[in-house]
Amino acid sequence: MKRNVLERVITILKYIVLVLFSITCLYPLIWLFLGSFKTNDELYTNPWGLPKTLEFKNYIVAIVDGNIGNYFLNSVIITMIAVFVGVLLSCMVSYAISRMYWKRSNIMLQIFLLGMMSPVYATIVPLFSMFNKMGILNSYLAVIIPHVAFSFPMAIFILTGFLSTIPRDIEEAAVMDGCSIYRIFFSIIMPITKSSVVTVAVIVFINIWNDLLMPQIFLTDQSKMTLPVGLTEFQGQYSTDYASMIAAVVITIIPSIIVYIILHKNIMEGMVAGAVKG
Amino acid sequence: MNKVFGNKKAIAIFVLPAFLLYLIFALIPIFYNGYISFFQTDLMSPGRFVGFDNYKNLMKDKTFIKALTNNMFMVIGSLIAHLPIALFFGNILFQKIKGSHFFQTVFFLPSVICGVAVGLMWTFIYNSEFGLLNKFLEIIGFSNLQQAWLSNKKIALFCIVVVVMWQFVGYHMVIQIAAMKNIPDSLYEAARIDGAGNFEQFKSITFPLIKHILKIDAVLIITGSLKYYDLIAVMTGGGPNHSTELMSTYMFYQGFRTLKYGYSAAIGMILLFLCILAVFISNKLFRSEPIEY
Repeated sequence: MKRNVLERVITILKYIVLVLFSITCLYPLIWLFLGSFKTNDELYTNPWGLPKTLEFKNYIVAIVDGNIGNYFLNSVIITMIAVFVGVLLSCMVSYAISRMYWKRSNIMLQIFLLGMMSPVYATIVPLFSMFNKMGILNSYLAVIIPHVAFSFPMAIFILTGFLSTIPRDIEEAAVMDGCSIYRIFFSIIMPITKSSVVTVAVIVFINIWNDLLMPQIFLTDQSKMTLPVGLTEFQGQYSTDYASMIAAVVITIIPSIIVYIILHKNIMEGMVAGAVKG
Repeated sequence: MNKVFGNKKAIAIFVLPAFLLYLIFALIPIFYNGYISFFQTDLMSPGRFVGFDNYKNLMKDKTFIKALTNNMFMVIGSLIAHLPIALFFGNILFQKIKGSHFFQTVFFLPSVICGVAVGLMWTFIYNSEFGLLNKFLEIIGFSNLQQAWLSNKKIALFCIVVVVMWQFVGYHMVIQIAAMKNIPDSLYEAARIDGAGNFEQFKSITFPLIKHILKIDAVLIITGSLKYYDLIAVMTGGGPNHSTELMSTYMFYQGFRTLKYGYSAAIGMILLFLCILAVFISNKLFRSEPIEY
């Protein structure tokens, strides 16, 4: 009997801790969202509560005057192309490494996995110099290329792991039927691996969407900048208009949050799988 | 069969595009970076060979040493938050508690949000005029603690470490829970029959059996803390007076603000070296086999 009471108390304590930490995780985001509808004055006088009136002016300032709409579009273009190219090429390499017969496949895998421990900082200066000589500084390409190259290690690690679990029978049957290797890859393997391809794609998406360093260094023209760099620009120009800055931040994080709500299972599995390698 | 799966042309078509991109834009730059680090150069003109001078000057550069110490502080702070604290939450959520999945999803959320946005959000929280932290201190009656958090040289770095802790606790917790899920239930059943309490179960079953994942996780935390950039860049820009400078932000500053690319490349090499060192040491120290059940 006594033990039961004790257990109950412990369970309640556990929930209190969990709920408190959940509030710490969620409340700042909610506060941000509510704040984006307040006026600057209201931010000072009424920091905690709901906005008295819905003020869309902040969003208009952020999008029209602050160029956030333009940054958003740049982010979408760069991220979409980089994710598509990066994931497609990773799938092809992973397939060749884990399912096709060639001597150096394992060495190739190891070379790609090496990239997991090297920080991008060791490549930034040379890339800057290379892009400068190639004349592609300040173009989308200068950001897309390194993002694609750095997406390979993690993507290939996850995809080879998954591909090696598929039974060989399907492919063998397809070969008997006279299927070419390209058709096997595109019409049989890709559909089977759809869920891990989605996992890899969302993780690559999040990494690229959130990245500040590369666009900050390789893009100098304001009209080409992505959202994270745009936000820092905005911070410089509108340093006192907090309400509009909050609106700009909300616009930046909304896509990640929507993707997370829909695909949180894939994201959690994938980020964990990509991590547990060392 | 071998003809189809051993087709050299098909292998080349599958492998070469990615491999060439990776070779030219990820591997070769690392070596090129090592080469640049021996020069004093603005990248336009040929530059002057200076041998190890960039590295020697770094060792004498007070700001760099400060950045290095700050990075170590980040490493320690992250280790505290992301091992014991994450493990504490992980262990609670692992015990088939109601809503476990919901809590995991919520705790993980901050780690998918853009670092720049998180940084700005926390500058609002730390803001001296309307920031939540100061308002909160006012409500609970500690108005005397109110201050401009990020402009105080003594505590600015600590304020940023708190953000790092907040952002990635859930991420590491989920990694640890994934490891716990691999432990067979039968072990816990046996322990319960023997009358072992929750803490004893954690101490004698969970912890020893997830140790190898914790070691991998520790490497991740260390290399991760060496790579933080966005938060500092947005929240303080390395200031006030370089007190929150990290190696990454200092590298950016030296390379792309003062145009000392050789010097900047040398910092990049040191970062690379430290990351490899972390992986290497942990492999040597903790040579443990993954456990088979």
